[in-house]
Amino acid sequence: MSRHVAIVGVGQTHHARRRTDVSQAGLVREAVDRALADAALSIDEIDSIVVASGPVLFAAVNQPEKWVVDAVGARCKPVVRVTSGGGTGLAGALAGYYQIAGGQAERVLVVAYDKLSEGALQYSISTLYDPFWGREFAVGIMGFSAAYWRARMDVLGHTEEAAAMVAVKNRRNAISNPYAHVKQEVTVEQVMQSKPLAWPIKLLDVPPISDGAAAVVLSCEKLAARSTSRPAWIRGMGYFCEADNAASRSMLVSEPLAIAARRVYRSAGITNPRRQFDVVEVQEPYTCFELSYYESLGLCAPGEAAALIKSGATLPDGDIPVNPSGGCAGANPIGAAGLIRLIEAAAQVMGKAAGIQIPNARLALAQSGGGWANLRGVAVVSA
Amino acid sequence: MTGGRVAVLSSAQTELRPAWSGAQHIDLISAVVGAVFKGTGLTLDDVDFIIDSGSDVLDGRSISNCGFLGAMGAHHKEESRVEEDGLWAATYGTAKIAAGGASVGLIIAYSKPSESDVGAFYRSQCEPFYQRPVGFDHDAASGLQAQRYLAQHRLRPDDLAQLVAARWSDAAARGRVSVAAAPTAAQVLASPNAAAPLTRLMLARPVDGAVAVLLGDAEVARRAARTPVWITGTGHAMDTHAFAARQAGTLQACEAAARAAIARAGWRSVRPSLVEVSASSAVTELMVLEAAGLAAPGNALRLCDRDSPVAVNRSGGALPADPIMATGLVRLAEAARQLSHPGDYGLPASQATALAHGAGGVGMQSHCVMTLEV
Amino acid sequence: MLATPDCLPIDLAPLASDLSMPYTLTPGPATGVFLAEIGRRRLVGSKFRTSGRVVVPAQDFCPVSGDSKFDLVEAPHTGTLTGFTETAAGLIALVRIDGTDEDFAHRIVGAGYADLRTGMRVAAVWADGIENSILALAGFAPAPGAPVGTVRPLVDPAKAVASIDYRMDLHYEHAFGPFYGRLFDEIRTNRRIMGVRTPDGEGALLPPREIDDISHRPTGTWVEVGQTGTVRAMSIINLEFVGQKQPPPYIYAEIMLDGASTRLIHTVSGIDMKRAKELVKPGTRVRAVWRDTRTGSLDDISHFEPIPAAPDGGGALTPGPSAAERKSGT
Repeated sequence: MSRHVAIVGVGQTHHARRRTDVSQAGLVREAVDRALADAALSIDEIDSIVVASGPVLFAAVNQPEKWVVDAVGARCKPVVRVTSGGGTGLAGALAGYYQIAGGQAERVLVVAYDKLSEGALQYSISTLYDPFWGREFAVGIMGFSAAYWRARMDVLGHTEEAAAMVAVKNRRNAISNPYAHVKQEVTVEQVMQSKPLAWPIKLLDVPPISDGAAAVVLSCEKLAARSTSRPAWIRGMGYFCEADNAASRSMLVSEPLAIAARRVYRSAGITNPRRQFDVVEVQEPYTCFELSYYESLGLCAPGEAAALIKSGATLPDGDIPVNPSGGCAGANPIGAAGLIRLIEAAAQVMGKAAGIQIPNARLALAQSGGGWANLRGVAVVSA
Repeated sequence: MTGGRVAVLSSAQTELRPAWSGAQHIDLISAVVGAVFKGTGLTLDDVDFIIDSGSDVLDGRSISNCGFLGAMGAHHKEESRVEEDGLWAATYGTAKIAAGGASVGLIIAYSKPSESDVGAFYRSQCEPFYQRPVGFDHDAASGLQAQRYLAQHRLRPDDLAQLVAARWSDAAARGRVSVAAAPTAAQVLASPNAAAPLTRLMLARPVDGAVAVLLGDAEVARRAARTPVWITGTGHAMDTHAFAARQAGTLQACEAAARAAIARAGWRSVRPSLVEVSASSAVTELMVLEAAGLAAPGNALRLCDRDSPVAVNRSGGALPADPIMATGLVRLAEAARQLSHPGDYGLPASQATALAHGAGGVGMQSHCVMTLEV
Repeated sequence: MLATPDCLPIDLAPLASDLSMPYTLTPGPATGVFLAEIGRRRLVGSKFRTSGRVVVPAQDFCPVSGDSKFDLVEAPHTGTLTGFTETAAGLIALVRIDGTDEDFAHRIVGAGYADLRTGMRVAAVWADGIENSILALAGFAPAPGAPVGTVRPLVDPAKAVASIDYRMDLHYEHAFGPFYGRLFDEIRTNRRIMGVRTPDGEGALLPPREIDDISHRPTGTWVEVGQTGTVRAMSIINLEFVGQKQPPPYIYAEIMLDGASTRLIHTVSGIDMKRAKELVKPGTRVRAVWRDTRTGSLDDISHFEPIPAAPDGGGALTPGPSAAERKSGT
């Protein structure tokens, strides 16, 4: 990749189940103010803005970047919105990355958000499906996610207990995350006893619904030092997909995630992800996904994810901490979640992951995705 | 522009029709993806990434790109959805190739406004507490812009009618837009009032359609395109959401976008030989031409005369055919084609430079401009 | 486009789809106070601290500068008409309220298009009994000679409205196209499920379409797909949500019909739900149960039911991986 790009400032709102004190625009402004302050820049010094938010039916404002532009203070600047279901936040960062790498800008502000409390989430998600074929029987993201998990249970040993351990880990980690709003320790037994919503997915396997925004300032190499002496360099980022109506679409492995990881690992010089990464942040819409990501990201072999979580290796003091921020379990404003994962990974290598810092973290991996689990991406950042 | 050079290698487009009632979105999309490689020697296997433009609200589906990935040829490729006019997707694709690491990009834009209510699509972009309840919408913005422009420059609706008729006539002649009978200026004037002082035919007509543009780096362009059309500058800008707060009588965001593209292209005193601009109405088409620096305020009508030094919207532009979300990408395809095949448009052979423009939002809130050269 | 081998085009009226979604929208501080006060016939604006710019109706952020620091002010009810138009929605106008720096978009009442001139004086007309909505202001009417009012600080502002109920209703008419047209016509008329062969001939694509999703090559000829199939994935749904078709608990299943290479989403019932986990799992064989009257949709199959095991032990067993599955290793 020709021009080097770094994350030089990050900001998040304190995510909440429901913010009644700000509109969507106000939520965006909060995250933008924090990221700009972190980068020691004003909006005037930003060349371009990328807005990333989830499906517009979530919050009843179509093309919301056109509404929030005023809140960002970006009048007559380049502003564009990128969207990709759950992977929106990472897709937004990718667009911003290319604006700099491709020479169209030197500093880009990427802001991602969702205000999920505004709408009927499941209903809007149901429109993901073909109105002719599948919409009437589908159950949002939860239905197929649960069903694919059920299929993986038999073949890969992704048991309910292993997924429950993900919930225990992430919910405990979230307690130390200043931006998370669900701070509630649980035990494996409590997860196993929690109400099945779409079995095998149970209540405590499910992240919260949140209002939240997150923003990053991306900078070209030349200007990075004006903002920070410890930028997070983007070593690779990619976002791939697979067609949904494809014969024998795998439920066992995420092929677009595996492709993205392969490509990004190649550009970033990663040959042994388990050993090389100091920390990993993944976007787990349900606990079962984290197990699947361990395998698709090459942190362990297929079928070994349950053993990996049981070994404790993915705990904050393990050799491959995954989601020290708590992942989606602590806060899940869907359109922002992918950018939050990138921010948490960047904050680790910048040494500013307050409360959840993995000591000496220098190389981090972030993962995000959306749709029918058929849009998947990763990013590698380093000190 | 820093980074590697990027060219338009080829394009493909379905007919733009008021309603493709016998086809689904995926049929329109897969048709243009299938056709775009013709003459290039490239195939889908050579494509490194896809960037697509579409609207969840027009499609009636959340994350609508997700259901169309196969038709887009995106399986196991890198894909990104820009929920904005396709010219923005092309700008993204251009940056991606210029950055290195990708050589060939496929840019796709489509819509089927016939399947939904275009008024509702624009209303859903309006502010929900202040604008939607009172009925302020895209048509109101067009009417207000027209009232101001006509008063400012002492023009009358009759003056616009000739322009509209010329656009429809060009669209009919090119054969890529479905035109039952191109209206005369009198018929344009006589069509029902839609946003007084504008009549229905003075507003852009939404149509169904899809368009694909293949972009490549210099090395691929050498192999694949007989006449690569180089993208030498890109720029985009968004004005304030509050329509009333925008500077009246101008399209400031269009000015900013054009300025940025032209500066990147290094066009200090270069004027494009041809332009393809988008528009929400006959008046905003004139305002865009002025904002792009092609005519002084109030003089864009003269620029549209057949003998003017700039060939304007020889495809017909957006007034007869506005495939919402794809209109700007169609402008890019048309401008590129006019540069490489000027004879098809009755243009002299010496066309060297072009400007393509796209817009989005109520009252054309945001604008995107590209400069092209052969 | 739309080459349909061995098939005549079928013209079906488009599929009507109505999305009707409830929302509780958050106005934010400035808009929240505007909405709280307008029922009391007070027009609230924002005066931004850095520029002194006054905008009505009140905004949290200055549209020109992005300034987020403001004081709330009360605007007079009179102003000057700066622009107007007539659309299907009615007479929409831009009014510069006296003492403000930005036009206010609203309606004209009590006058027709022909009566209006830019520059004329207008005054607010109120609607009774409307609260928390900008429509408590019915619009503006010509008010010749109306004296010029002044903007004052807002005294005793009401608490901002925290949320506004809203509904978005979107109507669609989705074209079937020839492939879906034939698919659903066969379902309704003949109780047959038709897919198209994949370009490599292994297993049918359902739903059928012209271009194969993976290879982007034209699909093959039509082929009838079985009424029986294998559950590949399932979940037991207990969740309730707006727009749900059946009350929980029920089984969500992804089923590969015999002869197809794609999964279809449906439901399995006719079993003791307390034993659902053991009775329905990946590998369970199921068959379609049709409704008596059909309309030409996937819903014409009411549900799938497990195929009972034959006395000799056959029938309930999965028939083994399809050729396509063997190839991809799933």
